[in-house]
Amino acid sequence: MNTKLLLTAVTALIGSPLYAADVPPVGSAAPDFSLTDSKGKTHSLSQYKGKYVVLEWFNPECPFVKKHYGSENMQKLQQEYTSKGVVWLTIDSNAPGTEGNMTPEQAQKVTSSWKTHQTALLLDPESKVARSYGAKNTPDMIVINPEGKIVYEGAIDNKATPNPSDIPSSTNYVKAALDESLAGKPVSNPTTKPYGCSVKYKSS
Amino acid sequence: MLIVSMKVARAFRVTRALLLSTLAIAAPLRAQMYEGRQLVKPELVADTNAIVPGKPFAVGLLLRMAPHWHTYWKFSGDAGLPTEIKWHLPPSWRVGEIQWPIPLKTNDPGDIETYGYENEVLLIQEVTPPAKIELPKDGFAVANNSPVTLTAEASWLVCEKICIPGSATLSLTLPISATNAAANTELFDRYRKLLPQNWPRDKVATVKWSRNGADLHLQVNSAMLAEYPATDFFPVPPPAVLVGHPSVESRNGNEVAFKIPLENADKNLSSLPGLLVFASRANADDRAAWRISGASEVASLPHPVATRGLLTFLFFGFIGGFILNLMPCVLPVISLKIFGFIKQAGQSRTKILRSGLAFTAGIFAWFIGLALVLIALKAAGREVTWGGFQFTNAYFVLGLSIVVLVFALNLFGVFEVSLPQSMTRGLLSTSERKDDLGSFFQGVFATVLATPCTAPFLGTALGFAFTQSPAVVLSMFVAVAAGMSAPYLLLSVQPAWLKFLPQPGAWMLHVKQFMGFLLLATVLFLLYVLGAQRGLDGAIWATCFLLIVAIACWIKGVFIVPTASAATRRTSLVLALILLLASGLYFIGDKFHAAKIDIGEAQLASDWQPFTPERLRAELGQGHAVFVDFTAAWCLTCKFNEKTVLETAPIRDAFERHGIVKLKADWTSGDPAITKLLQQFGRPGVPLYVLYPGKSKEPVVFPELLTKSILLDKLETIATVAGIGDPGGADVFRHQAGRGQRPRLQSQ
Repeated sequence: MNTKLLLTAVTALIGSPLYAADVPPVGSAAPDFSLTDSKGKTHSLSQYKGKYVVLEWFNPECPFVKKHYGSENMQKLQQEYTSKGVVWLTIDSNAPGTEGNMTPEQAQKVTSSWKTHQTALLLDPESKVARSYGAKNTPDMIVINPEGKIVYEGAIDNKATPNPSDIPSSTNYVKAALDESLAGKPVSNPTTKPYGCSVKYKSS
Repeated sequence: MLIVSMKVARAFRVTRALLLSTLAIAAPLRAQMYEGRQLVKPELVADTNAIVPGKPFAVGLLLRMAPHWHTYWKFSGDAGLPTEIKWHLPPSWRVGEIQWPIPLKTNDPGDIETYGYENEVLLIQEVTPPAKIELPKDGFAVANNSPVTLTAEASWLVCEKICIPGSATLSLTLPISATNAAANTELFDRYRKLLPQNWPRDKVATVKWSRNGADLHLQVNSAMLAEYPATDFFPVPPPAVLVGHPSVESRNGNEVAFKIPLENADKNLSSLPGLLVFASRANADDRAAWRISGASEVASLPHPVATRGLLTFLFFGFIGGFILNLMPCVLPVISLKIFGFIKQAGQSRTKILRSGLAFTAGIFAWFIGLALVLIALKAAGREVTWGGFQFTNAYFVLGLSIVVLVFALNLFGVFEVSLPQSMTRGLLSTSERKDDLGSFFQGVFATVLATPCTAPFLGTALGFAFTQSPAVVLSMFVAVAAGMSAPYLLLSVQPAWLKFLPQPGAWMLHVKQFMGFLLLATVLFLLYVLGAQRGLDGAIWATCFLLIVAIACWIKGVFIVPTASAATRRTSLVLALILLLASGLYFIGDKFHAAKIDIGEAQLASDWQPFTPERLRAELGQGHAVFVDFTAAWCLTCKFNEKTVLETAPIRDAFERHGIVKLKADWTSGDPAITKLLQQFGRPGVPLYVLYPGKSKEPVVFPELLTKSILLDKLETIATVAGIGDPGGADVFRHQAGRGQRPRLQSQ
């Protein structure tokens, strides 16, 4: 038995649940997942094959998330693209006991009072999906094409500030990626540095 | 529990007098309250108790954070945001880049790595007040001696388990005074100790980068490292580059290897700027750091020399060579040559042709020799540029002034050149031959003097040649030589034109002597260059040696003549040589060698600021437009441009009106940082005039012979395009916005 190989395998097995995996790069297959939404309904990525899917990491306490919801920038984006057939999945990956973790009831309250327009607000209290995508920030945005490949990952726009007044003058990368993809063009800016709060993983 | 509305940190107003005697907060400040605590207490402090006009001082943004809360470094890592400071300064005040202390590195659950500060941080910036502090009636203070209030808007993100953005408008009031004393010394010292140092000399530490697929590998070798158990690399990636977490790959005594994964970088990216941090343990208070500059950053500067064909450049070389004849530094020698032609006017055609050919050969010999030396040096891996590599060397300038002086004394008739009879008999059996040799050396001499004046076209042409193969370099130098010698060759082939010149006579002696004075003027110019390189002392010691050289020439003229006895000649020669050797050893080997320029002397007059790459980056980072004058004391073209264009009232006004920062890059002694930049612009020497319009605009390169109209035209059009006339523009003081689009310099 090759001990080195065995050690590597063991380390990988132990290591993977503890640490966020490397970010799957743009162009690679989006890891599948299955999560329940605020209403208890289960959604999996594979069920949306054939459609464009947007993943949005969320934390209602985070000033950077509030920047985009308080200005209704995010709601408008959700409304515009879900009406064009895009599936928009908002994911809360914050661990229980950390800021931003929500119970299904709290999640429902947020969607109704913030008047959100996503397809579903998914709860990921074990941060499994965040790990498989290497999501580190809220908001962290990923666009997946109908073939299940990642075509965009990174920030929502180019102004890394918590200030809503910066939104009108900023370039929205997600909008650009979706517009280009829907027009059959390659995404010109496929990877950017996400900005925002950190995803609150469980202390290990 | 949920905050549903957009409720950023509550703003409240505080007016309080600060304990620090020299400071006062005049404007209300907005601070953050969280669960009844103020998370960040911001404050502006200075390292001086008064502002002395023209004298830079340091200001610092002091942020005091509640326990466990932290603010971020210029690269915040996986989350967070760098603190920003936006200054509102009176016009013509300048502020430098933020000097970030070495941050702490934290790793939160989920492998989220961030770089920031806990408890307290002081972000220092250098402020340069103008030499004459004028207080405009609107806004700032009015009366003389009244204090100046400097205002800054600071914004930050402070995080513990959650993040809360905060901002404050802070101000600092200081009196204006002729003298000042240090203030807040302990605080500034504490944070200055935490600033990263420049990379040390090669002897102390070396750095090696390599790229393997998506990973960068950094290998650092230094005996210093052995003393510090904890070493780390903190990256400062350019905006478009996404870096993973650097990790130590191996550590072996003096050698540490880091792996830096890149998540979306250009294939050609071969290094990253950042800090090499070493400490007794991670995040210890004794941490120190060296700046590592990413070499690849340099390569991304726009390269104006693009794809013009070889023939075009050879043509430019030819034209440039021709124009060299008109440069002020060559003129005295040219007059010598014209004088020679006059003397030859009555002589035979072949004789004149031979003389012209010999002169041409001298020009060619010099240029080809120079090309070969350059090719050899380039092959040896040394950074060499034309002109500068001679004139930035004080010994070259000294040697040249000796040669020019000896020529002048010869023209005055102090001594005559008489080659040894044996040599004359062997080599120069006819007087024609002797004339040819003289013409040859005149050709060499004329070109030696021409090199510092990089004439228009020639700069571009040689700049192109330096990026090329040895064959191209050689052909370029030949083209320049051809251009320079063309007019003489033409005159020798067409001696008919020489007949228009006056007949020889007694006036020739007078002209000859007068030419001697022109050469003495050239010596003065060279001494001025030496003064700029080695200070007043250096110039004086050089002059002492020149005096001895003159005496030696006189000895030669009086005693070492064919009519003197062999014994007299021998004694005189020995005496002259001893004089030269002894004074050379004393004045040059000892005194001149030790002469160093006094920093005080080198300070710039007027409103020009000394150039450093960091300074340029800082000004551009603040959205200022910057004009850089690449100059040198020995460059007459530069001096001419400065006197007739740059320092004239309309141009000064235009610069002032558009708020353009003027930086002077003094290449007199061959500063390597300036050499590098010159090369990036494809120029082998000075002058070079570049306007960086700021923001994302490409730098504008001006012709080497400036005119007021060219400069004014460009300033106006650029001002309209980039809106640089508006210092209050939205992004002017942002440290982050648009950083990636600007031309980047070697930094850190």
